[in-house]
Amino acid sequence: MLNHIKYNLIFLLFLSVSIAQIKLDINTIPTEVDIYLDDINIGTSPIRNERIIPGLHIFEIKKKGFAPLKYELIVNPSQAVEIDFFLNPVHKCKFKTKEKGLIFELNGEHYWDVRLIRLDLESGDHLLRVFKTGSLVDEQTIRIDKPETFNYILKEPLTKNDI
Amino acid sequence: MQSFFQHFRMVLISTGFFLIFSCAQFRGPMYPEIIYNNKQPLVSVTYEYGEVQIILPLKYDSAIPDNILFKVYAKADTMNPIISILQEAPNEFRTTIPQGALDINNSTNFIKIIPQNENFDPISVRFKGIGFGRIVLPSKVIRIGQLIVSGKTYLKDSKETLSRVKISLQNFDNVIHSTYSNDSGFFQIAIPGEYQFAEHLRIVAGENLILKPYSKKLNFNNYRKLKIDIPIGPTKQMKGPLYITNKNNVQFREGPDIGSKILFLLNQGEVISVDRVTPGAYYGYIEVEIEGEKIVVMNGWVDRSDLRELNMNFIKNN
Repeated sequence: MLNHIKYNLIFLLFLSVSIAQIKLDINTIPTEVDIYLDDINIGTSPIRNERIIPGLHIFEIKKKGFAPLKYELIVNPSQAVEIDFFLNPVHKCKFKTKEKGLIFELNGEHYWDVRLIRLDLESGDHLLRVFKTGSLVDEQTIRIDKPETFNYILKEPLTKNDI
Repeated sequence: MQSFFQHFRMVLISTGFFLIFSCAQFRGPMYPEIIYNNKQPLVSVTYEYGEVQIILPLKYDSAIPDNILFKVYAKADTMNPIISILQEAPNEFRTTIPQGALDINNSTNFIKIIPQNENFDPISVRFKGIGFGRIVLPSKVIRIGQLIVSGKTYLKDSKETLSRVKISLQNFDNVIHSTYSNDSGFFQIAIPGEYQFAEHLRIVAGENLILKPYSKKLNFNNYRKLKIDIPIGPTKQMKGPLYITNKNNVQFREGPDIGSKILFLLNQGEVISVDRVTPGAYYGYIEVEIEGEKIVVMNGWVDRSDLRELNMNFIKNN
């Protein structure tokens, strides 16, 4: 009798959990990256027929050559959810100038003062600011969409050459 | 020979170091970190929702409205229905709504049923939602709304409020419901809507008074709510001394003599304004209501033994 009740309870618990769960599919570009859901590795993309419960979840993706991705999502009660992640690539670039005595700042937190440097830059816009003897002398936005070499001439737009 | 090879090896190694060093100088130093621009990740989220089918069986009591407007509300939002459907009165209401639209924890979802006929009152059916699937709700009976009569009771002559007067609604002589006017003379009485088309429906007031009860036929064909102010007693035109009949079927005759023409048979509580008195009979006049509105004065004789004097300060039955 006790066993019967126990099995019924287990079945009801299983039923309620299965009904509450939502089918989860994950695609990524590029493919074959490890997906972490709430700090647990759930496999390599593409992910198919995984289960998730409604509520707040954190997805994390890390792959060499791409910017790491962390995404918080409140999953709505539904039958299925499909998530596509597009990873942002990191490009190898060179930055050179013939000007002397300049300090370069990128995105307000990265600095260098040499005339030639190699940089790993995430694809997209970056803010370049140039200082000379402590004063801001130039400011412009660099758009990165492929590996490139930038030639800087003071107060002139950056010129680019493919690497 | 051996020293030559050693020398050659040294030259090779030196050349290698030189080349590596010079190339590194040519390529420039490597910045130690990857520089991110904290761009928002490009993410696409696509949900696939299930459906919730709602089935509400309906029953009709005595009358069926032509059309019914159904409105489904969720999560206690009484302003914005999820769906509105106007259709001919069905035996069951069926609708399908998207998953997640309903509150699945509490009964804050409801269906408002609005018959498109003013004889019916809107009704609501509350229910608890589910994630997806089918909900079959208990059947709901749709009936005509209550018939309501309200008004106040007052004395016909002085227009003064008359309180605690018994009011009843009757079909033929069957009392459907009765009440009393309150201390301010107001009353409200309701009966089931199925009496709407009863042909012998009437309101009777004053059965707890010594005066003849007030009676009026009711017609709910056009309205379910009627306002009727009920005058009780004689009009101001009836001068004293006033008497009332003390039994039913009192003869109201043309002359004082026994055998003279009988004009009416008066019911108990009929008021007579007496003009002349003989040892056996009183001559006076009564008020006769014609077609429920017009009042006509009729003169005649009534046996003295059938009357008693009326004191308007004591008109309630003990």
